Amino acid sequence: MTGAGVVADSLVKTYARGARPVTALAGVDLAVAGGEVVALVGPSGSGKSTLLALLCGWESPDSGVLSYTGPLAGRRPETLGWSELALVPQALGLVADLPLADNVLLPARLRGDAAAAGPRAGDLMAGVGIGHLAGRYPHETSLGEQQRAAVARALLLHPAVLLADEPTAHQDRGHADRLLDALVAAARAGTAVLLATHDEQALDRADRVLAMRDGRLGPRTSP
Amino acid sequence: MSPGPLWRLAPWSRAPRLALSAPAAVLAGVVTVAVLACALASAPLFLSSARSAALQAQLAPQCAEAGWQRTAVTVRLPAGTAPGTVAAAVDAQRSTWERLGRDSRRALLITSSVGSGGNAQAGVLVRDPAGVPLTQPATLLWQAGVTRHVQVVDGSTAAGVWLPASYAEAAGAAVGDRVTVAGVPVAVAGVYTDLFDTDAGPYWCDHRSLYLNPGSANTPPPALLLASDEQTARVLARGAGFVTVAESVPAAAADLSAGEARELVDQQRAAAAAVRLPDGVGLSWSGWNDRLDDAVARAGTIEAGLRGPVVAVAVAGGLLALALVAAAGSFWADRRAAEVRLLAARGVGPGPLAGKAALELALPALLGAGAGGAAARLLVAGLGPADDLDPAAVRLAGAAGVGALAAGLLTAALVAGLRVRAGAERGTAGARPRRAAAAPWELALLLAAAGCWLLLRTRDPVVVDAGVAQVNGLLVAFPLLAVAGAAVLAARLATRALPALRRWAAGRRPAGYLAVHRLAAAPLAAGTLLVAVALPVAVLGYTATLTAGSQATLEAKVGVQVGAGRALVSIRQVVPDAGTDAVGTVLDRYDGSVAAPAGAPGARTDVQVLAVDTGTFAGTAFWDDGFADAPLGDLVSALAGPATDGRLPVVATGLPPGPADLRLGSRPVPAEVVATARVLPGRRTVDPVVLVAADRLPEVPAGAGADRQSELWTDGPAGPAVEALTAAGGRLSRTVEPADVLTTADFLGVTWTFGYLSALAVLVGVVAAGGLLLHVEGRTRLGVVGHVMARRMGLSRGTHLRSLVAELVGVAAAGTALGALLAAAAVAVVYRRLDVDLLRAPTPLLEVPWAAAAATAGAALLVAGLAALYARAAADRAHPAAVLREDA
Repeated sequence: MTGAGVVADSLVKTYARGARPVTALAGVDLAVAGGEVVALVGPSGSGKSTLLALLCGWESPDSGVLSYTGPLAGRRPETLGWSELALVPQALGLVADLPLADNVLLPARLRGDAAAAGPRAGDLMAGVGIGHLAGRYPHETSLGEQQRAAVARALLLHPAVLLADEPTAHQDRGHADRLLDALVAAARAGTAVLLATHDEQALDRADRVLAMRDGRLGPRTSP
Repeated sequence: MSPGPLWRLAPWSRAPRLALSAPAAVLAGVVTVAVLACALASAPLFLSSARSAALQAQLAPQCAEAGWQRTAVTVRLPAGTAPGTVAAAVDAQRSTWERLGRDSRRALLITSSVGSGGNAQAGVLVRDPAGVPLTQPATLLWQAGVTRHVQVVDGSTAAGVWLPASYAEAAGAAVGDRVTVAGVPVAVAGVYTDLFDTDAGPYWCDHRSLYLNPGSANTPPPALLLASDEQTARVLARGAGFVTVAESVPAAAADLSAGEARELVDQQRAAAAAVRLPDGVGLSWSGWNDRLDDAVARAGTIEAGLRGPVVAVAVAGGLLALALVAAAGSFWADRRAAEVRLLAARGVGPGPLAGKAALELALPALLGAGAGGAAARLLVAGLGPADDLDPAAVRLAGAAGVGALAAGLLTAALVAGLRVRAGAERGTAGARPRRAAAAPWELALLLAAAGCWLLLRTRDPVVVDAGVAQVNGLLVAFPLLAVAGAAVLAARLATRALPALRRWAAGRRPAGYLAVHRLAAAPLAAGTLLVAVALPVAVLGYTATLTAGSQATLEAKVGVQVGAGRALVSIRQVVPDAGTDAVGTVLDRYDGSVAAPAGAPGARTDVQVLAVDTGTFAGTAFWDDGFADAPLGDLVSALAGPATDGRLPVVATGLPPGPADLRLGSRPVPAEVVATARVLPGRRTVDPVVLVAADRLPEVPAGAGADRQSELWTDGPAGPAVEALTAAGGRLSRTVEPADVLTTADFLGVTWTFGYLSALAVLVGVVAAGGLLLHVEGRTRLGVVGHVMARRMGLSRGTHLRSLVAELVGVAAAGTALGALLAAAAVAVVYRRLDVDLLRAPTPLLEVPWAAAAATAGAALLVAGLAALYARAAADRAHPAAVLREDA
């Protein structure tokens, strides 16, 4: 699926922390088009994760408009399947009872086409350097290896939009490169990729870098 | 951070309140300590309950008076004893009871008199109105209202004696005439129907020996005269020279606890010892109600026999419950992980953290101990043998509850501390079996079971001590060890097959695929779950089957011995008619013999010959399909078949088919054994039994020595049967009742031992269910992020639920099947040896309690299904954004 993207217009999200309201997003405007890699930077607590949660439909904005474009136009984010909107959360979310290969293949299995997706899953795992860990359970691997499995899982079905929260946080430089190669390749194949990251390596590979500060989004002003 | 001021810091000083932030951990603490307290407190309560029930069960089939306090003295009244002295002798016991604050009921009985030589003779001499002595002596009874409890033939309100109708006829006496009793002229105040011709009812229960003669069908007891009033009885007592005075204090035997009964026994002994007779009379005999004494002593014996198995089972249950408490301690560490990790990171060691766990769980544990103790009390009262408990047992149960509180708190805190020391684990879902679990320690259990079995082969499975059957502890230990060992071994083998199952599931639908992968990822949890289901199912199946089999065997032994619900024995021949057919069947019992088989010692073998009415016998006689290969009806029909070379067709047990040289007494009756059975009803001795059609049996002369005895067998009440027997020409000499054959209370220990073992199995089931919930809860928490992502990938709620059901119900079904298999194997090995009475037929019967088995299986599957629903609901409660943020 190519040509899909996501557009956010004046998104506002406020939480209650005790009796005090905390504004996580104070009018965020964002557009990510298919084929580009957009990096989102900002200090902890600046609202990056909240924005990703809104984009994938796990939370609703207090105000503002969030819409998907292209083939996904008119769809609400919580109705989008894995081939339309894939995620790499910071918590990774691998299924503890499944070996890494089964975790990577799970989106296809739940669609009923595990057999067809098997070779691609193998290629993706090899591509990110975990091909030899196919039979290991998540707890038998390092956090970095788990993170690579989570990225491979996100890429399995050629998603239209991919949201990744700190996808290289646990990687050494070499593996980070391989992960970013895979993400950029997906973008070049038409996927709209939005990364929340602190990793300079990832920022260098992004087509655009946006900075988040105090719930507002703007161009990055300093490295 | 030093331990000194540590306890004054908020995490410890506010610990009880902080526990409220993890309500699930609080609930786990309450429930698990409650299970522990229930397991420990139930033992003394159960034993007390069993003792009371054993007492009540012994008293129930006896007359109501068996449970009353009673003192009695027989006094000799020398000739010329003044009436005032007689009155003082009669009143001696009542004044003793009055001093104890008890109102007693009096009975005066004259069963002997001074003979012409000054000796004591049985009964008193009665002369008819003409002064002619009657050949049959009499006894005389008075107690309040006695004449209101007979069927009056003719009566008056005058003072005097009431004669039984047959005796009045023999004496030619009518109301208003005067007869002489023990030399004292007295008016005939009434005539009543002989008690043996009626269903006399409970009022006469304790006096049956005065008008029935159970010892012999031929010697009638002395006629029973009734005094219309106490004064008449006293006058006649002076004439007879003897009187027995009994003072009874009624008690409700059905509600007596063993402790109360013991107090009654002690009190009546004290009352008997305190009786002082006036000068001038002699004490011939004194005593008290020793039936109550015996019942109390026997109840103690039954309880003593139960104590070993019950304590062993309670300890086993307590250890299992302690394992659940340990799981709750671990659960607390999980639920309070954030704070625990923080404190551990700041250098707080396992000890202070265990102390914190103890402080937080103290109140829940206290509540749990109280609830567990109350549950034990309610369970024993509601489901135990009796709800009449001794205060001492209740106090002991309270102490057990306190012990459970201390042990539970210590265990939970210890495990929480160890868990902290081991580090905050992310979970056990994918954990491989640890080294301890990998060791084949179940082989030790199986070896121990084999040892028990070998010992059991050389010892009696059921030991009879003072007439009370007690289950050998090995019979309890063997199945527990064997079933536990075999279940663990089977689970180990089953988990070895999980990788192959996982490969098979690769091509299955998502629900099956996920279910199998969850099991394969946690083989230790899967194996534990399998054992947790199989163990209670197996123990329940074993105990329920043996209990049902023992009960059925006991009933069969009674049924075979009596022949039917009850047998009325007549001293005259009963001719069957429509009346007897309506209530049962009539038969004649003969002493017979057959030629002994070649090589057997002696020329002839004694047999019991039952000449039966082929039209009614099969419909009334007790029968179990295990007695023969054919129904009783078919066997009886064979009696009506053609004679073989003039030989009468008979059905026999203990004789081979073919010709039989049968004799009834000395009367030859050539017979052909046309059918055989392993057991036939009416077998009261070890001799073989032969059934023959009464209407085809040749006349057996009285002089043949066959000792014919007519019986009416009935499954209905005694009253109509007695009337039918009398109307058919019979005269009741005695009734054979189930209670006469076996004292059921003597076998209660067997039933209750298995009953308590069943309770352990239910407890194991509860522990398993609690453990399952803790497992599911813990796993759900650990796997919630993965679940959220799987949902995002397209895992539907339906598929998730189906996968949970397939996993949990699948394991429960496998566990149930494994448990049933193990139970069947244990029963097959043991049941033939569980003969509670080797002397009486039949040998142990196998009775499978299908309803209980189905209920057990249903309960196991239901719990698993509910756990699956709970797991899905717990997963559905997760808010994806919050979970992912929290986890991150």
